[in-house]
Amino acid sequence: RPSGVAGGMAEASGRAGPSLRYFCTAGRGLEPFLLREVRARLGATQVEYVSGKVFFTTNSELSKLKTLKSGERLFLLLKKHAPISLSSNKGKVFHEIQKLVIEDPRCWLDIVSKWKHLHGNKVKQGNISKENPKSLKRKSEEEISIITKKQKREQILETVSDECHMEEQKKTVVLETNNDMDLLSENKTFPEETSESRIEKSVESNKDSFSFRVSCRCSGTIAKVFTSQEVGRVLGITLIKQLGWKADLRNPDLELFVHLNDIYSVVGIPIFRLPLATREYIQTAGLRSTVAWAMASLAEISAGAFVLDPMCGLGTILLEAAKEWPNVHYLGADINDSQLQGAHENIKSAGLMDKIELLKASVIALPLPSESVDIVISDIPFGKKFKITKDIKLLPNILREMERVLHVGGTVVLLVSQDLHKHIGGCISNCVESDASLNATSDNKNGAAVVKDLNPKEKNGSPRSISSSIQGVETEHFNNKITCFGSLAVVESYGVSLGKTDAFIYKYRKIPAAGMQ
Amino acid sequence: MKLLTHNMLTSHVRGVRPGGGFPLRIQATEVKVNNVDFNQEFVARMIPKVEWGALLEAAESLGHLSDLPHQLPPEYENNEDFLRKVHHVLLEVEVMEGILKCPDSGREFPITKGIPNMLLSEEEET
Repeated sequence: RPSGVAGGMAEASGRAGPSLRYFCTAGRGLEPFLLREVRARLGATQVEYVSGKVFFTTNSELSKLKTLKSGERLFLLLKKHAPISLSSNKGKVFHEIQKLVIEDPRCWLDIVSKWKHLHGNKVKQGNISKENPKSLKRKSEEEISIITKKQKREQILETVSDECHMEEQKKTVVLETNNDMDLLSENKTFPEETSESRIEKSVESNKDSFSFRVSCRCSGTIAKVFTSQEVGRVLGITLIKQLGWKADLRNPDLELFVHLNDIYSVVGIPIFRLPLATREYIQTAGLRSTVAWAMASLAEISAGAFVLDPMCGLGTILLEAAKEWPNVHYLGADINDSQLQGAHENIKSAGLMDKIELLKASVIALPLPSESVDIVISDIPFGKKFKITKDIKLLPNILREMERVLHVGGTVVLLVSQDLHKHIGGCISNCVESDASLNATSDNKNGAAVVKDLNPKEKNGSPRSISSSIQGVETEHFNNKITCFGSLAVVESYGVSLGKTDAFIYKYRKIPAAGMQ
Repeated sequence: MKLLTHNMLTSHVRGVRPGGGFPLRIQATEVKVNNVDFNQEFVARMIPKVEWGALLEAAESLGHLSDLPHQLPPEYENNEDFLRKVHHVLLEVEVMEGILKCPDSGREFPITKGIPNMLLSEEEET
């Protein structure tokens, strides 16, 4: 089995600390990569993928967590519940939200101390002394006893009053809450986006207390009833009242991330200030770094390989690959001077000048002998900058040249925009029935989700079959139909999101000419 | 342009007989020598991929042949001394400015700031 994916990652998962539970978001289509990664890199257990998040448990230290390459943002899991049960009674729902805090305040404090421990107890600007957690606990115990009394009172009220009366009472509670909010906040709320908003409360932060900021996202049914703003507000106030925390807009000690949808209610604490996808070593980003890394991870890069990106642009793919698989010779080619200049600067600032070399050359006329390259990885830029019609004609030439320079058995990994993908059928001809070696295309051993390629016109097509347990990930089998171009046989493909647009990652292998008719 | 890369490059001008475009002759006006971390395994793996004669020729033209043997020593994988010399020539010597010349057609490809320009005009393309 090629060591491509695990090779660079199969080290010990760092100094053993306490096992903590995390979740990590992933761009659409990258979930299988992230699942693989957390297992390989962090020795993660209890790994599950639910609705855009990968949940897992690990005892890895912070520096190891930071090495995740296919995820977007990493959070320490605070709460994961069934979705908030919706009722017409808004007050009831608010109560449900409050329960997230009220029912187990210790859990919140516990996670916060775990988070601090993870960060080596480094405290922001020395605002908080080690004594505070204790004092907070003491305070919260008082709060808890008060709250339980309140709850009992509320319960009694509930049983006695009829629904109308109760509704009024609940309304009052909500109003009171709002009044509190008005007093506390400068009402600095940002214009809402469809599903996400941030509650920023500006409060004079008491230096002795712990400060927080709530970031809330509501989607699905709950978003039709509540705004993220309202939910964040309720939660924020509950935290202030229950745990004595202070809200801080500008520079909170802690950020809280809340996501409520039809599948779960999740609360987490972001581990890092910046998303994982923001790489320290990349100066000017071209292709999304997570996608670039995912492509490199498919290419089966091993020590001593010769890897070519014949349309390298700013060099993102080569940078991601060289960071992960360093004992390899990388060559990037481009026809554009300013891109090459940008790539050069990227390579220099990443300290990878010894690993990656650059060339000014055209992908349809590569100055390389035939069968001299082990791996070709490239983002085909067409459809974005250039006219699609002209580029479609070039595509066969591009593939042909890549095929030419590649060793038999070598791999090609391409990123193709959705527009170009629609036309790729014209280039890929159905070859005659498979022979046994070609059937080894169902690379499912490493849990690689073989991805289905939905008819691009039909976005809601139901999958023919799902080879992985991942919902929503497009999967395709190439078992029945071997698609290839010349001697490049498609191994697998993945539909991925590039943010504003969608694209497909295609992996090919060069098969011996003798195997083909 | 390091000599490891140079060893992979060939001229692809139209009309050049097969194999006639390799190896490109180097006329360097600026050569830089870098300090690159030595990785024994990497160098050992590169050697079978490299055209040894072409490498020697290139190294010599830059005055960095030193005492590299004309023939590969047997069991070079464990010969650290030898591998270090190869490492130096493959990875540490870099042509920053100069020309690569096709041995068959004489076509010249410039090297600027370490990057060779191998673009052909349409007439030249095969």
